[in-house]
This record gives sequence, structure tokens and C-alpha cells, in this order.
Amino acid sequence: MNRLRHLSLVKIIVVVVLVLWAIIELYPILFMFNTSFKLDPQILNEPFSIGYPPSFESYARVWEGDQTGQPFLSYFMNSAIILVGTIILLLVTSTLAGYALARGRFPGSPWVQQGFLLSLAVPAHALLIPLYFFLGNLGLRNNLLGMVMVYTTLGLPLSIVLARAYFLSFPVEIEEQALIDGCSQFGAFWRIVVPMSRSILATIAIVNITWVWSELFFAQAFLSDTDMQTLPIAVASYRPAQMQASAAISQHFAIMALTTLPLLIFYFVFQSHIRKGMTAGALR
Amino acid sequence: MTTTEVASQPIAPYSNRLSWYQRLKKTLRDNLIWYLFVTPAILLIIVFMVVPIIEALSLATYRWNGVRPREFIGFENFQDLGTDRFFLGALQHTIFFSIAATLGTVTLGLLLAVAISRRVLGASIYRVLFYLPVMVPITVVGALWVRILEPNFGMLNTFLRGAGLEALAESWLGDAKIALFVLIGVTIWQYSGFPMIVLLAAAENISEEVQEAATLDGVSEWQRITHITIPLIRPVLISISVLQVIFSLKVFDLMWVMTRGGPGQSTDVLGTFLFDEAFFKRKYGYASAVAVAMFVIIFTITYIYQRIVRVENAKL
Repeated sequence: MNRLRHLSLVKIIVVVVLVLWAIIELYPILFMFNTSFKLDPQILNEPFSIGYPPSFESYARVWEGDQTGQPFLSYFMNSAIILVGTIILLLVTSTLAGYALARGRFPGSPWVQQGFLLSLAVPAHALLIPLYFFLGNLGLRNNLLGMVMVYTTLGLPLSIVLARAYFLSFPVEIEEQALIDGCSQFGAFWRIVVPMSRSILATIAIVNITWVWSELFFAQAFLSDTDMQTLPIAVASYRPAQMQASAAISQHFAIMALTTLPLLIFYFVFQSHIRKGMTAGALR
Repeated sequence: MTTTEVASQPIAPYSNRLSWYQRLKKTLRDNLIWYLFVTPAILLIIVFMVVPIIEALSLATYRWNGVRPREFIGFENFQDLGTDRFFLGALQHTIFFSIAATLGTVTLGLLLAVAISRRVLGASIYRVLFYLPVMVPITVVGALWVRILEPNFGMLNTFLRGAGLEALAESWLGDAKIALFVLIGVTIWQYSGFPMIVLLAAAENISEEVQEAATLDGVSEWQRITHITIPLIRPVLISISVLQVIFSLKVFDLMWVMTRGGPGQSTDVLGTFLFDEAFFKRKYGYASAVAVAMFVIIFTITYIYQRIVRVENAKL
């Protein structure tokens, strides 16, 4: 009773609103997974029913790819290869540059630093058409390596800013000791600094993984061959016309679920790191 | 470093007599390692960003369908943009979308952050849950909501009919008057968690002492929010708002998946307009002019924002 009296009306309203909003936020995502285990007639006639016992037919069809033209693994592997390639290349190039800008007082370093800051303001849209023809000339259109190069470039400005800020606060004494002990500058970086900088490597990976996995604008323009396409293109390729006309609703839900699942697993495993990393990225 | 080198070289005049070429070579050799460190990043930025921007500026002055030779037309593309009602419509929708989506996500994010920072019941769960939709790819969010909002069999209208609210059931994405608002609603649904976690981190950075002093002074919860929390997180509030605006100006995926700019161009934005002009109408010169316009708008906002943020940081 005593506790109840402390709960003012405002507090109750706040809790009710929060619970309601939590339901609004969460229900569509649960709905997506639930629906992916149902069959089309069930989806149309009883949208709220639980998909139990689960039907895996939609997953089997998506696995073979009878709506989108390619089996699921083709889209998944393309997405995964682009993601892994981009993150590795980004980590290497952005830490090297960030470290040099934090430590080196070489002639031209202020200009380089200024240039990277300016590149942070460039909207990707402006690059679409020139890159389309440029990649075409290089034979890198419909090519995973081409996408890796483009995505790495788009991720570089923010990643360098984050890396530089981190290395500025990294104690110089540790590297100086390594240099005195006969390490080369690169050796000090590679063998001493990098192993101690897992947190910044994680942050750079975190701020880039979500958008690279989800990217559609460039992928849609540069990857027209279906065997080179990524998961977001597969999701977008279902025509969301009138529901009754389309016979592949459950498959659409299945590929949506499969595209989302890796990121949700990633989120639940690293959730506090992810929220911290994204905050750092936003406030750079 | 340099002073000791000069001191150890008593024959100073010689170093003055080094030609500019020799001096450049020496500088390069001394700092070679740093130049090697920044080279990969600089190369990528130049090849895949700087050169394309210059190319876009140049393309915007041509008429070109991608196959036949380019025809130089000066500023004609830009003049055409000024009278193209579809471009002006897309520009208007983009600006409206950006402002409304930013107001929605940031206001909601702020309210959620303030509530959670005051340790309401289940605060740690909300923190995890409200960020969840941010992790879902926009393409999936769009495709999912198209299915939910489908007028005949969609989950929302089925729910409304079942709840006796038949009158509220709409053709959500088929009505030119409301489609853009629906897209803004979906954006708020997905992204309010983002300003929330950023503002929450800022609110939790407010020192215990300030909070305790406020408690001792006996301020009400409302005063605490309006007089302590919000003023103290104001810089972060401004930052996240500007970031949301910049992010929303680049919107593409949501319209691409949900409406393709329709019905009747009512949800066309700069991103989809650019894409259509380039890859469907093959007007690469004209589309480049759109890209240049976007570049100017977004680059200016971002650049001013960066300057202000740096000035503010310098003051702290």
C-alpha cells in the first residue's frame, strides 16, 4: 500500500505510455517472423494467428529462390562477402590514416586532416552516376570488389575521424618505449598499438556493419546481374502490389526475416557495445 | 627534433643552399612512413569520391543518354530544373519529409530518453527494445510496412475493422493526400530509438552531484526535466537533430520499396527522382544536375554544422 501511494498518476501514465510504445515498436517485428512461418491463405484470412505449427515451405522456396531467380545462398554470400571485405578494408585504411593524423606532424598533415573532414560532408547521391560509368569502364560493375571499394570510401570519412580521436587519447609513452626498444614506426603501430586498440576497431566495425548490410541505393544501381545481387535487392524485388494478386507473400516474409536475422543476432550479442558505438559515431 | 638536427649541423649555409627539389626529397624521406600510412585512404577518397564529384559537375552541363556523344548545353539542365514541377515537387517532399521526420524522431526520442533516465519501471528493457527497429534494414522495414498497410488484407486495416473502427481504415499508401505522412510515420517508428540512445547517454552523463543538489532543493520532476536535463543536453540535442535532417535528406530506400514515388508523384523525393531520371529515363546529364543540387544543399548544411560543432567544442 505504501508503495502504491508513492506511484503518482503521472508515473502510471508514463509507464502505460512506455509499455504501449514498446508494443508498437516490437509487434511488427514479431509479426514479420511469425508470418514467415505461415502459408499465403492463412496470412490473408487470419493475419493475427500464430504460425504454429510452423510451416517451413516459404523458407524452402526462398532457399531455392523460385521468386527472385537466385537461391538464397547466392544473395547471402554476396552480402556477406561485401560486408566482410568492406569492414576489413575499412579497418586497415582508417586506422592507418587516423593514427598518422593523430601522431605524425608531417608537412601537409593539416591539409589531409581538413580534406577528410570535408569528405564527411559529401552526400553519397552525388557520386551515383559518375561511379556507375567509372565502375563500368573498370569492369567493376556487377562486381563485388567494386561494391567493396565504393562502400569503403563511403565509410572512410567517419571511420578516420573516430580512429584519429581515439589515437589522440592513446598514451604516447607506450609507443615511445617500443621505438626505443628498436621497433620501427610501423612495428610499434602493428605490434603494440593495434592489439591494445580493440575497442576502436570494434567501434569502427559497429558503425559500419548495419548500413553496409542494408545498403540499397548503390547496390540497386550497380548490381543488375541477379547472381551478383545482395539481400536488400532481393527483398526489394518482390512487387508489393495488391496482396491477393501476389502469390508469394509468405516467401517475401521469409526473405525479410532472413535478411534481418543476422543483424538482430549481432545486436543481441553486442547490444551495449552497439549503442555506445553508434552514440560515439553520432557525436564524433 | 628539427632544432637538434640544425644544432648538429654546424655548416648551416649548406642546408640553405639545398635546392627546393632536394629539400622536398628530404622532407618526403623523413616523413615517408606517415605518407605511406595515409596513402591508401587518400587514394580511395580521391578515386571514388573527389574525381566522381568533379565528373558529376561536368556531366551536369551536358545532355547525354549514356550512348551517343555528349552534347554540351551549359547551364540549361539547371534552368530546366527550376521549371520542372516534378523536380520541385520532389524537393518540396524531401524538405517536408526531413523536417517532419526529424521533429518526430527527436521529440519522441527525447521524451523516451528523459523517461528512461529517471529510472522508470523496466528502464533497462526499454533501452534495448526501442533501439531494436534501428537495426532492421530500411528495405525490410519498408517491405514489412507495405504488407501491414495493404488496404484489403493488411494487418492494420484488418485490426481496425475488427475493432469497429472501420471508418479509420484507409488506403494508406494509395492515397496521394496521406502517403507521405504514412512514410514519415514509418520513419518515426523505425528511428526514434536512435536519438533516444544518444540523448540517454547525454542525460546519464549529467553528474550525480547536480542531480542530488536538485533533489535536496526539492525541485519537482517537471522542473528537473525543463531546468536541468534539457538545458544540459542541449548541444547533443542540436547535434542529433542536424544529423537526422542530413540523414533524411538522403532518403531513398523507403520510398523505393514502399511507393516508388507514387501515388501520382506524391512521395517522390530527390533520391528517387535522381534514380529515375538516370537509370530509367537515361537522362544522365539532367540527373547529374539533380545530384549537384543535392550535393550543394547537403554539403552546405553539413559543413556549417561541423563548423558550429567545432567552435562549440573549442569553447568547452
